[in-house]
Amino acid sequence: MRLLLVEDDTLLGDGIRAGLMLAAYAVDWVPDGKQALLALADHSYDACVLDLGLPGKDGLTVLREMRGRGDQTPVLLLTARDTAEDKIAGLDHGADDYLTKPFDLGELQARIRALLRRAGGKAQPLLEHCGVSLDPASKRVSFNGQEVPLSAREYALLHALISQPGHIKSRSQLEESLYAWGDEAGSNTVEVYIHHLRKKFGADFIKTVRGLGYQLADKNG
Amino acid sequence: MRLRNRGRIHSLRWRLLAGIGAAVLLIWLLTGWFSYTKAQHEAEELMDGSLAQTARLLLAITHDNEDDLAELVPRLATVRGAEDIYEPPLEFQIGLGDGRVLARSPDAPEFPILGVAGYSDIIRHNEAWRVLNAVSTDGRYRVQVAQAIGLRDRAALEVATQTVLPLLFITPVLIVLIYLSISRALRPLEQLADEVAARTPDSLDALTTNRVPTEARPLVVAINRLFGRVARTLDNERQFTADAAHELRTPLAALKVQAQVALLSGDTPMREHALQQIAGGVDRASHLVDQLLRLARLDPLSSPPEIRSLDPEALLLDSLNAVRQAHPQATQQMLARIPPGAQALMGDGDLLGIALRNLLDNAVRYTPPASSIRVELAQAHGRCDLRVSDNGPGVPPAALARLGERFYRAGQAAGKGNGLGLAIVARIAELHGAQLSAENLPGGGFAVTLRGLQTQHPDEQSDKTD
Repeated sequence: MRLLLVEDDTLLGDGIRAGLMLAAYAVDWVPDGKQALLALADHSYDACVLDLGLPGKDGLTVLREMRGRGDQTPVLLLTARDTAEDKIAGLDHGADDYLTKPFDLGELQARIRALLRRAGGKAQPLLEHCGVSLDPASKRVSFNGQEVPLSAREYALLHALISQPGHIKSRSQLEESLYAWGDEAGSNTVEVYIHHLRKKFGADFIKTVRGLGYQLADKNG
Repeated sequence: MRLRNRGRIHSLRWRLLAGIGAAVLLIWLLTGWFSYTKAQHEAEELMDGSLAQTARLLLAITHDNEDDLAELVPRLATVRGAEDIYEPPLEFQIGLGDGRVLARSPDAPEFPILGVAGYSDIIRHNEAWRVLNAVSTDGRYRVQVAQAIGLRDRAALEVATQTVLPLLFITPVLIVLIYLSISRALRPLEQLADEVAARTPDSLDALTTNRVPTEARPLVVAINRLFGRVARTLDNERQFTADAAHELRTPLAALKVQAQVALLSGDTPMREHALQQIAGGVDRASHLVDQLLRLARLDPLSSPPEIRSLDPEALLLDSLNAVRQAHPQATQQMLARIPPGAQALMGDGDLLGIALRNLLDNAVRYTPPASSIRVELAQAHGRCDLRVSDNGPGVPPAALARLGERFYRAGQAAGKGNGLGLAIVARIAELHGAQLSAENLPGGGFAVTLRGLQTQHPDEQSDKTD
């Protein structure tokens, strides 16, 4: 899962990025509204954490512009102002949730999980497919009731695939959900981690769709 | 409105009423006194006229009738008058030119008839009398006529009373009418007071001036001006509180998140990075709190805490050294320039030092390595300018006007500084009666100037030595 973080404060931005990376998200961090809009146009993000008080283009403007051009990326607003008007304005401009500073890292992670769950059209916190179940809160994965230990990259790859089980994900899409900017990705890393997952959940669990990418096996298949 | 304390009347209505009442009373007394004296004078002339007539009548009767005088006196007794105020007692003496008295009324005054012809006032029987001595045209006879003048005073009193008495009845009516019209005239003021009293502390919009009397309009205009100022101050305060909340919450949020990352991370380099970030964040937050407190202390002042004569060289070099120490790794070249024979500055050394350090600190932070930063002093006409300039990239032109605003961060300062440094400098300049101006230099670079600081008058220069 790849997230965009828009935060002008270097210390806070650095902390949030580290905190989200601990939860096995790939995080791109930009310090202002202009760069946020460019990043949103160039990449597809699973969610966006947006600070309201930004230099130049403020958070609300960014939100209005991205919604204006049809961008449906779930947005969690960070705001230091705790008046009802600020929250109302944020939600009415198209935010999906908000958090008031200072906040708890655990709460931020939980709210992002909820955002991603709702974006995937699910209310169930557990993601399940063909006997494999993934709990985004505890980052535990089990196969037929048996817990399976996964590395952070393997987990991130499985998370990306299992959140939309019917969809075919291209190699570059999967790569994006594994690596933020600046991370060094080898040319065949996605294949390496697919191979690891197949070893753990059976060779049929992930199908290769020639020329397009990868897809989880059909439920009844 | 009707406050009456310490015995002084504060109500306009009662003051007006007391003033007008006193004036009416004074006019009433003056009218009485004036009509009394006027009536007295008139009565005196009337009485003198009648005395003269009587005297001439007696002289005419006496002429060539000396022998019959003895017979005449008892008959003349009937004209001596009665005890009636309009017929006061009349006494007479008739004599020859040499002063010999031929006849006299029984109660005539013992007053020689030989005196100077004319009127005189005497006291007899504890009463004032008017006496007239007259001589016949041929000088053979003398006559003296005397009359009590109680009549004169009593008549005058009566006339005065008649003039004044109606006023006694009119005055209360007048006072009531005046009271009512004052009340009526003051009603707009009372309405105004009610309108102000009914306001909540938040409603600071202007009072309507169209129904206010002309006399009260300056007051209402002044109140409206005050309302406007208070409203602006409140807005600023609200804005500042909101901004301060934002500025304080962001570093707190950062500290909390970094601390949680450190707690959750099993990875040693990541935990160490987070802990370092926390240490840096605490420094930054305490700097922010220092700056906020500094502004809060400067805000209520209207002048610098102390004004002393300052050696410009020491001021500039101390600030420069402090900034060099705070940024030991800075590679910029920093220099101070002071014209020879510069006069001492007048101001608060601590505050001006803070201002210079803030400006130099900004220059160090936002210019590329190996830039040059200079702080200089320029003097002219008893005023002087302090200026910090650099040859760095400058500030976006659109941001120049907003630089002194609190929490405003421009260009590359965004996300780094707290946006209070220049606000503090602007406040210090204001306290010293100087102006703060920021500009991009034509050849590239940025300069901030504190313009119009006071210098010590050359005559006072001798004080500087001690």
